[in-house]
Order: sequence, then structure tokens, then C-alpha cells
Amino acid sequence: MEIRPISRVTGTVNRIGEVIGMGSTSGISPLDEARGELLREASIEAEASGREKAQEVSGSARSLLVFFIGAEGYAVDIAHVRKVLRPSRIARVSGAAPEVLGLMNCQGEVLCVLDLRRILAPGKETPPPATTEGKFIVVFQHERREAGFLVDAVRDVADLPSSSVHPVLDAIDPSRARYFEGTVACGGQFVGLLSPSACLNP
Amino acid sequence: MTTGSVDLLVVDDGATLRGYDCRDVVRVEVVAGEPGGYLVRLGRMGSPHDVACREVLGSVALSVREIRPVPEVLRERITGEKPWAVGCTERGMYLLY
Repeated sequence: MEIRPISRVTGTVNRIGEVIGMGSTSGISPLDEARGELLREASIEAEASGREKAQEVSGSARSLLVFFIGAEGYAVDIAHVRKVLRPSRIARVSGAAPEVLGLMNCQGEVLCVLDLRRILAPGKETPPPATTEGKFIVVFQHERREAGFLVDAVRDVADLPSSSVHPVLDAIDPSRARYFEGTVACGGQFVGLLSPSACLNP
Repeated sequence: MTTGSVDLLVVDDGATLRGYDCRDVVRVEVVAGEPGGYLVRLGRMGSPHDVACREVLGSVALSVREIRPVPEVLRERITGEKPWAVGCTERGMYLLY
């Protein structure tokens, strides 16, 4: 895919494109029609490539992926983790909310990458990470919604009985508490069990 | 209407690479007195509007395979003008407006 340079813009005005002589005859413009057609074709292509993924939540035992942001540990049910990957080039998006780090090409799929540190600190001014080097992206999936969350380190997968999940600590700020399903003890420390649904919804 | 691909005019708004359907571009103007400032006038196929950008990079042909819907998680976190799709290529990402 090559960007073809156009002739250098000189003076004040330079015309680009061709007159195609199409006008709008109804509420839907030819541009909207073209976009709709392209998106329909694109979705057929995507379906044909067999990228559908099925996830099932297990019953009494829970497998949790444990990861860290700074010194704080978090966990998420592995049933809602689609993959863990290293960040590659992340394209910024104009006009997006502060927690949006951008878009990443994930093997041909468009992945929205969110700053979990920022999401878990509502109301606080958290600067975006200076670098993504050495970090990980954990891709959460819940009810056909998915996004990548930037984290500092991924530790392991812990298999725990459901009974080991304790309620969210009262000490947690209510605006932050909505992002947690509970608290679990993993490897000698308590970590917050994240709610994928809450993390994926603004 | 569609031929399975779309030619985009690619511009840099300072943060994002934006792609506009070349067929919708009326003209590109240099903003006087502002080096690197351009105004893309659109509306040959849709409603007329202008877009300011820092740089006009050129055109790129995207195939249907490279056009992806905007992730819902992103769409609901964008204020103002929302892209209608994302161009996802090995060389970069373009937000299609």
C-alpha cells in the first residue's frame, strides 16, 4: 500500500478529483450509499475470514489472568480475555476521550487501545504513558465488544474457586468501585477482580 | 456504485491520518500565511463542508479488505465528528470521514 504523492499544492487553489456528475435525489447522498456498500462488503469479508470467537464462562472454578499497573495488581476472568499481546504502532485518534490511546492493527483487525490506568482513576489527571515499550495489551471481550487495555506487566493465570472472590472493599471510591467484581487473594496479595463489562463501557 | 475499493485523499490533522473519498473532494486550498495549513473543501457527493489540516499527504487506494468498521468502544468515546470506517493497512491506519 503506497501513498501516491499528489502534485504539490501551489498558489491558493488546486483541484483534486474528477467531476462525476452525481447529485442527491433522496435523503441518502451518493456518498452515504457508497460508504454503506463498502461497509457491507467489508463485513462479509470479515465474516468469511472466520474470525468469530466463542467464549464460555466456566462454572464453579475461575481462571483469572493477573496483571499489574505499577505496583497494583488486578485480575480478570480469562473467559473474557481474548489475547495478550505486545503493543505495536498505536495510531492516535482526534477528538477521542482521554482514556483512548488509539487504534492498533492487530493482525488485520482494528483494535481500540484504552489506558486502564486512566479508567481506574476517574476524575484524576493521569498523563498518557510516555512509552509502551515493555508493556502489554490485554484484550478484553464481553458481549461482542472488545478493546485492548495497556498494562505494565502480566504475571500468570490463577485457578481459583468462585468462593475465593470476596466483595469489593468498602474503602474503594464508589466511582472506582463500579469497575470491580470483587477482590481475590493471589500469590499472597489482594488484587482487584475487574468487571470486563464496566471497563468496556464508558 | 462500488468497485470494491475506494480512493482516499489522506491528510494529517496533527494527530490522526484522515482519509476522505477523493470523489467527494471539491478542492484543496492553501491557507494563506500559515505554512503547512490546508483547507480541504468537500461536498461533491455529500453535504458541503471544509476540513482544516496540517498536511496533505496524497492519495491511497483502499480495498474492501482494508476497510473496517469503527470499533464501538471507540465510536462512543469520540466527541464531534465521527469517522464512518477505519482503513487498516500494513503501512498505517486511516480514519475515514
